[in-house]
Amino acid sequence: MFSNGDEIFKISRLTIVWLAGIFTIVWMVCWGLGIALPMLLTSQLGDKAALTNEILRAATPVIAILVFIPINAMFMVLIERRALALWTVRKGPNRVGPDGNFQTAADAVKLLLKEDITPTGADAVMHTFAPILFFAPSVFGAVPLLAAVTNNHPLFHVLNLPTGIFFVLAAGALPVVALVMAGWASNNKYSLVGGLRSAAQAISYEIPLVLSLITVCLMAGTLDLVKITEQQAGGILNWNLLGGGALTGLNNALAGGGAKALATSYFMGPISYVCAGLLVISLIISFWLYLTGACAEINRIPFDLPEAESELVSGYNTEYSGMKFAIFFLAEFTNLFVVSSITTVMFLGGGDNPIPPYILNNIPGIPQMVAAIRDSYFCSTLHIINPETFFATLWVIAKVYGLVIFAVLIRGTLPRFRIDQLMAFGWKRLIPLSLIVFIIVVFAREFVICHG
Amino acid sequence: MATEIQEIDLKTDEMIINMGPQHPATHGVLRLLLTLDGETVKHTEPVLGHLHRGQEWQGQNRTWFQYQALIDRVDYLSGMFTSWAMARACEEIDGTVVPPRAEYLRVMVSEMNRITSHLLWLGTYLIDLGAMFGFPFYPFREREKLFDLFEEIAGQRMMFNYIRIGGVVRDPKPEWLDKLKRFLDEFPDRIDEYETIVTQNPIFLKRTKDVGILTQAVAKDYGVTGPCIRSSGIPLDLRRTKPYSVYPELKFDVITFDKEGDTWDRYMARILEMRQSIEIIRQCIDKLPSGDIMGKKQMAGMRIKAGEGFSAVESPRGILGCYVISGGGEKALRFRWRNPSFCNLAILPELLKGCPLSDIMAIFGSIDVILPDVDR
Repeated sequence: MFSNGDEIFKISRLTIVWLAGIFTIVWMVCWGLGIALPMLLTSQLGDKAALTNEILRAATPVIAILVFIPINAMFMVLIERRALALWTVRKGPNRVGPDGNFQTAADAVKLLLKEDITPTGADAVMHTFAPILFFAPSVFGAVPLLAAVTNNHPLFHVLNLPTGIFFVLAAGALPVVALVMAGWASNNKYSLVGGLRSAAQAISYEIPLVLSLITVCLMAGTLDLVKITEQQAGGILNWNLLGGGALTGLNNALAGGGAKALATSYFMGPISYVCAGLLVISLIISFWLYLTGACAEINRIPFDLPEAESELVSGYNTEYSGMKFAIFFLAEFTNLFVVSSITTVMFLGGGDNPIPPYILNNIPGIPQMVAAIRDSYFCSTLHIINPETFFATLWVIAKVYGLVIFAVLIRGTLPRFRIDQLMAFGWKRLIPLSLIVFIIVVFAREFVICHG
Repeated sequence: MATEIQEIDLKTDEMIINMGPQHPATHGVLRLLLTLDGETVKHTEPVLGHLHRGQEWQGQNRTWFQYQALIDRVDYLSGMFTSWAMARACEEIDGTVVPPRAEYLRVMVSEMNRITSHLLWLGTYLIDLGAMFGFPFYPFREREKLFDLFEEIAGQRMMFNYIRIGGVVRDPKPEWLDKLKRFLDEFPDRIDEYETIVTQNPIFLKRTKDVGILTQAVAKDYGVTGPCIRSSGIPLDLRRTKPYSVYPELKFDVITFDKEGDTWDRYMARILEMRQSIEIIRQCIDKLPSGDIMGKKQMAGMRIKAGEGFSAVESPRGILGCYVISGGGEKALRFRWRNPSFCNLAILPELLKGCPLSDIMAIFGSIDVILPDVDR
């Protein structure tokens, strides 16, 4: 069935090795700084360590992100190249280290050692600041997500904002300034065209993107990312992807509530059922709208017009080399990761298990396994593993990297839009569609008991 | 002093962009001087000659035998056709009779070469349209298989030097024919595979439909040949209109469309031509006579009788003509090539007028220009 089963096996092996490595390192840093060190200090110094502990705990998430982003980007570049190679009948990088594991590390070293060139006639200050301004929002924009994707772990409580998604979107809108800056400061006509294209594109596609997320927030009744995640707990029928709580009644009925649960949720009878169906369809459309808008927002094929290698010779970053280019590259992949995380949190239930608990707990062995992990020495005494966060994180990893792979598959399939077609598609198709979905949701949610 | 109200006009300038000679989408070293208004092309000026190697001059300064090996490089993607054009011109002067087996082998390898050339075009065209990493490598998979066959029969994968003056240089073994048959059996499925990804892809249709329409008048004026003119509705195919070699004995369709062709039609014409080539090769295998394969002794001091001759073949890009004057010696007095890429490239400024920047690649790619063929 699979003629390239060997390659698939190698890529899976590589993925598992990298993911295990990344998350072990990041979690050991968090645990060491935020849990182990304060525990040690308290046992040695008593109350005197309180201030130090507070500072350590506050610094932990930031340090975790700064450790996570470069190694994660390295992994994502590698998996993108290997997965693309799999889908395009090539081999991909497989020479540096076992399975090509160290390819991106070698690339990173090469980029960092390269000469940093500022072209003649370029605006040197702007030229230097553009990559920084491009990279910074993707770091601090990711911060509120951290609480949501770790199932509100105590270490990351501090990051949760009541207006979480609003902050994330605001941060996500910033990089376009950097792209225009880079295009302008490079003193290159191709770069300038690329920068201007990116401005036009980002402004147009921001609207359907935000409208689709507003639809979700409307269903949830909150902007708080942690609350949105918590509402979706309890199986795939509770996810925002499937109606944002419109199917919760069905879920309750299946869980044992019977007809009574149905009657409670769908209190208007047939009208409620129709509205629940409408909500499911609307939210699925919203999900695709978000994915499309996000693809355009982070300049990936088929919306990679600002880069457009075959037209603009990679557009705004044509004149960049060395470290500055590396930062652009890093930010691009971080953006892809952030966008996938937002999708996971807003639509796919964050760390929620798609199998509902009433099925899962009836499978022999699973409750015992959870209990064994909960009672183990690592968990109860050392707090290395927190059972709630542990399984949630596994699901988040699966969902987020699934979306990343999906983006790679899209990249491996589609050609690029033309700029006028891109604009027409955005303004004439996506924006009206997202408004229609929004209006349907506004009315339909009145007839069903949903999350909000 | 009375104050005057100054009217300020918002002035916009045209931008001159220098596309190439080093640019990922110009397929080598073409330089296009583009005058842009925003992203709309106002004027295009192709600047040629970056790859000029003096191929005609080299032909006059090398013996016939030496130049045979060099001639594959004129159009490196369809070496069989350049060899064939030269061989036919020389045979016309010399009066050499080519054995029928050699003629059939020539048709076979040429049609195989047409397939490899179209496959490479297909992959690179998708790259031009922005499918940078996905589809383009699928055609290369089949191209490699054909190259393996070429390697077996000619000893070379791209610069074949297989068709010589007087015949062909090696006789294929029966196993080679079996391999070729096996390839031909699986290849139509592969073309279907490309078509499932590309032909009805909505983005591909948006990028290619009604883009770069080549009217029949323009095509005739500029001397466009090959799939470009056939997709515009003019059934100009030398294999049918002025048949040479054994083409009169073979059944195949000349691919034309009823309307004036856009870039999608040029894509479709090439896809369909590949299917026709399969049929031609199949017929050749069935009809392949036994016998000699070389009608002239190949040696370093080979001579061609005095005289002049012209021959044209239908290459993947159009009509490839070769004009030779021989003084009866070891070297030619004059070589002159009529290269399809050069003539097809001439329509580029005409087609690019008023189109957006992104369409330059869609249109330029669809003409299928090989730069060594343009500059010689």
